[in-house]
Amino acid sequence: MVTVLHQLSAAGYLAATLATALGLALPDARLARVSVWALFVAVGVHAAGIAGWHWLDTAPSLTTLPAAVSLMGWLAIVFALALLRRGRLESLAGLVAPFAFAATLYAAFSLHGGKPAASAGDGGWPHLHVILASAGLSLLGVAGVAGVLFLAENRQLKAKRGGSLRRPLPSLEALDRVNVAALALGFPLLTSGVIAGMVWSQALTGRIWDGGPHATWTLVAWVIYLALVLARFGMGWRGREAAACAAAGFAFLLFAVVGVEAIS
Amino acid sequence: MKILLVGMNHRTAPIEVRERFAVDDPAPWLAKLVAGGEIEEAVLLSTCNRVEVIATTRRLDAARHRLRSFFLRELSRGEPLPDSLSSHAILYEHVDTDAVRHLLRVAASIDSLVVGEPQILGQVKEAYRVAAECGASGPVLSRLFSTAFAAAKRVRSETRIAERPASVARIAVDLARQIFETLGDKRALLVGAGEMIEMALEALRGAGLAGAAIANRTPAHAAELAARFGASAHGLDELPALVAGADVVLTCFAAERPLLDAPLFEEALRVRRRRPIFVIDIGVPRNVDPAVNRLDDVYLYDLDDLSGVAEANAEERRRETLRAEGIVQEEVDRFGGWLTALAAVPTIRRLRGRAEAVREAELARWAARAAPDEATRRAVDALTRAIVNKVLHAPVSRLRAHAEREEGLAYLQAARVLFALDDPTAPGAEADERDDDGPAGGSSAA
Repeated sequence: MVTVLHQLSAAGYLAATLATALGLALPDARLARVSVWALFVAVGVHAAGIAGWHWLDTAPSLTTLPAAVSLMGWLAIVFALALLRRGRLESLAGLVAPFAFAATLYAAFSLHGGKPAASAGDGGWPHLHVILASAGLSLLGVAGVAGVLFLAENRQLKAKRGGSLRRPLPSLEALDRVNVAALALGFPLLTSGVIAGMVWSQALTGRIWDGGPHATWTLVAWVIYLALVLARFGMGWRGREAAACAAAGFAFLLFAVVGVEAIS
Repeated sequence: MKILLVGMNHRTAPIEVRERFAVDDPAPWLAKLVAGGEIEEAVLLSTCNRVEVIATTRRLDAARHRLRSFFLRELSRGEPLPDSLSSHAILYEHVDTDAVRHLLRVAASIDSLVVGEPQILGQVKEAYRVAAECGASGPVLSRLFSTAFAAAKRVRSETRIAERPASVARIAVDLARQIFETLGDKRALLVGAGEMIEMALEALRGAGLAGAAIANRTPAHAAELAARFGASAHGLDELPALVAGADVVLTCFAAERPLLDAPLFEEALRVRRRRPIFVIDIGVPRNVDPAVNRLDDVYLYDLDDLSGVAEANAEERRRETLRAEGIVQEEVDRFGGWLTALAAVPTIRRLRGRAEAVREAELARWAARAAPDEATRRAVDALTRAIVNKVLHAPVSRLRAHAEREEGLAYLQAARVLFALDDPTAPGAEADERDDDGPAGGSSAA
């Protein structure tokens, strides 16, 4: 059932991705709205899948890589949909959808293959670590996608190519606000996740730092996040610079952290 | 039945001519038109950009003459046209399918000065309402205008013709929306006080702009415009401070050299903590140094850039217009089918009338010869009526079914030849005069 729910939500994310791509290509704003509806349905089905996994999985639940990836994909879409209240961001949600699609597809086909990130231990800390860190990383993902979109739109506007005035793209201002919101909310979440992970590690091994790849790359992610936060709120970077930083940070984490986790 | 449209629009007549023909209340004019006998139904459409009469008639030449005279003598109030214009140049004429297509294009805003503008449909509806209320519109124009409204609705919902920006000011507003989420919390600085500035300010205000400042060499001109739009007026010496406070800067100012340069914008960005500025320079020569566009967070568009954007979007508009034309053609064909079906009514009526006349004549002859009792006479009457109805059922049904199609007229023609419906010596022809007295019965064919 969990696999089927993940497959169904993957189909919903794929439909949203295709609707967004088509909406931008034609261009047709109605398809962006179709994409949002598809995301609402998919995120509901996906939530059922994650809940099922949580109840059916052997302890400690949600701590396998497929489960964490699935949770990250779900949270990224939830955040993207929540951001719709702050602007014309339908296409941003649609462009986050392919990542959620990849995450759910990976999770659906790895349901029985994932091994727990820790061999023992239970209680609230593993869950807290996974949920908080996943939320922080998925917000970085949303900021990264918003950054890429900002750079593309900024380039088009600067080059005065204009393009279609009806292409359902978010405004630069809204994308910059996504950057602020993602950093302001995501960094504390990831920091809390890292602390929860340390407590969990302490309980398991007697050390707050086990030196493994998971701990190392989580710390790397946190350092990247810290750099982004300092650049944005300390040095006052905004617009193109902030977007480029977020896009680069997300790209690095995507290829480094996920890659390393998958290999290990 | 012919449909005739005569009129003038923004392409054939300048405004000083159109305004002379404009009509405030069409009702009395329509009453005069349909009272003459040449015209059966009429609707008069009078807007800023067009004055047109669409009418139905059975005497095309007489109606054509009547409508031309209506325009050139009555609507013009006897005033002659300017020497440079002839009536043939300003008045156009469309008949049947062309007239139907023209009306549908007008209602769908394809024929408008600003293609896709929404007001025209309301004006067409109002023109029809007035004609219907004063009794000048009948079944044919009623059906035609219903078709026009349906076509306009389809064009609006199935194409994006109404969404296309059509002016520099509109394009500027649309570009601003790609930079800013909303203009509701943004301020604009307008440099100059001419007509372009006024139009741009109107468009920006329409898009919800929070506030505006107008700077001009002659502050009195700026003050006049500012008072009308609730903006503040300034001299050019205040430009550095004004630019720092503006999210949108629009310039259209007569100056030999650029008024605003890169250092001024650099300073403004520093003051406003690098919040972006959208600059639209429609001055010729340009009012803003092109180097300004190299600054991050400043988006500078001059007149050529805006034209480039307009051109890129014009292709889309052309595509949408083609789709709209396709919808109009579908509706024209549908109406044409209905009109052909209407033409089938007299043929079917004559066919039935002839058959009935033959039946009655034969029944009377038999009754005179056989002197049946009343019960027998009734039985034979019912029998012959049933035979006639059954024999005619198939041809009449097929005539009705084919009438709305392209080959409908050929079927009608064949029926008239096969049943000798145009031969006054054929059996039953004495019924023709009686049946042809009534109206065509358009609503029944619908």
